[in-house]
Amino acid sequence: MFDEKDLILEARHVTRRFPAAGGRSLIACNDVNLKMYRGKTLGLVGESGCGKSTFMRFLVWLDTPSEGEIIYRGMDITKLKGRKLWEMRQHIQMVFQDPSTSFNPKMRIRDIVCEPLLNYGRIHASEKDAKARELLEMVELPGDFADRYPHNMSGGQRQRVAIARALALEPEIIIMDEATSALDVSVQETIIELITRLQREKNITIGFICHNLGLIQSFAHQIAVMYLGNIVEVMPGEGMADVCCHPYSRALLDAVFDTKMDFSKKIEPIQGEPPSPLNIPAGCPFADRCPHCQDRCLRERPVLKPVGPDHEVACHRFAKGANG
Amino acid sequence: MALLELRHVDISYGNRVTVKDCDLTLEEGEICSIVGESGSGKTTVIRAVLGLIAGGGRVTAGEILYEGRSLLDLSPREWRALRGHDISMIFQDSGAMMNQTRRIGSCFVEYIRTHENVSKKEAWEKGEDMLARMRLPDPDRIMRSYPFQLSGGQRQRVGIAMGMTYQPKLLLADEPTSALDVTTQAQIVRQMMELRDEYGTAIIIVTHDIGVASYMADRVVVMKDGVIEDQGTREHVLYETDNPYTRKLMEAVPSVGGKRYV
Repeated sequence: MFDEKDLILEARHVTRRFPAAGGRSLIACNDVNLKMYRGKTLGLVGESGCGKSTFMRFLVWLDTPSEGEIIYRGMDITKLKGRKLWEMRQHIQMVFQDPSTSFNPKMRIRDIVCEPLLNYGRIHASEKDAKARELLEMVELPGDFADRYPHNMSGGQRQRVAIARALALEPEIIIMDEATSALDVSVQETIIELITRLQREKNITIGFICHNLGLIQSFAHQIAVMYLGNIVEVMPGEGMADVCCHPYSRALLDAVFDTKMDFSKKIEPIQGEPPSPLNIPAGCPFADRCPHCQDRCLRERPVLKPVGPDHEVACHRFAKGANG
Repeated sequence: MALLELRHVDISYGNRVTVKDCDLTLEEGEICSIVGESGSGKTTVIRAVLGLIAGGGRVTAGEILYEGRSLLDLSPREWRALRGHDISMIFQDSGAMMNQTRRIGSCFVEYIRTHENVSKKEAWEKGEDMLARMRLPDPDRIMRSYPFQLSGGQRQRVGIAMGMTYQPKLLLADEPTSALDVTTQAQIVRQMMELRDEYGTAIIIVTHDIGVASYMADRVVVMKDGVIEDQGTREHVLYETDNPYTRKLMEAVPSVGGKRYV
């Protein structure tokens, strides 16, 4: 399904440690290896605090990893500085979760969506009106909205403006951090329709952070499940429910409530909560909540092993030669 | 006689009527969920039941009957006897509803002692017992913790434990799982369903998560712009209704193995 020549960005052994009190360190991302492909969506799923936002923030230089490299256009982008970094930023843009706090409240929509273009000298100040109109129409908003302020708009409209701003520079990659979580379901649906249409038209790569497997599987080409800083499973988005096999991914899937589920089925949620990222267990990070935990899981950390086409799992149960 | 009945209720903030002509009936032990988009008036309705409408809103028409008795002309004293004992409420983030500078135990003891005349020690034990019944591990430690030291799921369980102390006949829940992660959400949903099985509690749950609403509820009420757009059994609202708004809303819910956009 994925062609190696479409590989656009690759993260290799990315680790991020934050210093914590008492000389300890908090490991937010642990040896993350991920690939993003041109025109495809990578969905990153996990519970709060699992490190999914930390990872995506590396790609837009809001943070840098402690170890590892991120290869884009043949360069390790984590080492970029100065002019080179400034130039590179226009190719990777971001949309944030809460559209009401990601704009300057004193700027008009026209100035918000045109600011990146002016910054990179792509347009002249006199062209702002026409360009703002064009960008707003691209995200299906009336061109007259250019005169408004962010507080005059609904949450869904603001998120469209955020998408217009991110797309203004025609980037190759867009990172969306829970871009629809603050919205109502009906609005969420229209935003997903918009994102997927723009992706088809412009062949954009999307990195989408989400905690709802039900939503992400409806439009991601590739889904990575993260737990306590570790990627535990990478699988294709289509038919995900049939192939997903890591016990944590299954637990996430079982925790999805939707209108087509079997209502008579008693839900069996996994018990407890993730351990603190300050003392990550030595073996499998999921061992203490896993219903299939064996001795080996407590001793030895499983690594990602291929189990099918575009499908990798980090679990001893699915490693070759393992029992059970 | 129904446990709770709202008859043609209008609720206004200032001169603006926000909720219009709301009719709702709840039987004992029934779970009803109110769904709708933000600003549809769903929270206002359940707050009205407990006389807790925020920001100067008031019920301007209609009647709210609890076991046949009108709630609208209760004296403050009668309200106090009813709240917590017969009807209680849990909020979106129960931790934020508590005093941040006091430990859980101190709040819990105060809560119990406003409702019954017991010693602090007895109240403490009762609180601990409730936390244990809501399956919170290590209740003694929880009682000695501040709200911010607990995780979101633990805080929500504390809220449920407090609300269930006197085994109310009616539990009102305002977005009880919206701030939680999916696996914790599943735990809380299951726990609320068990309340009905064990104590026969009737529940009204307000949520924008239609999946959770339909899993839990016997009856679903759909609200839009302050008006009840549609209501009926879960099967009616999900599969049978002719109401175009309800249908559109239900189709927008993403489902595993459902519609794909790419």
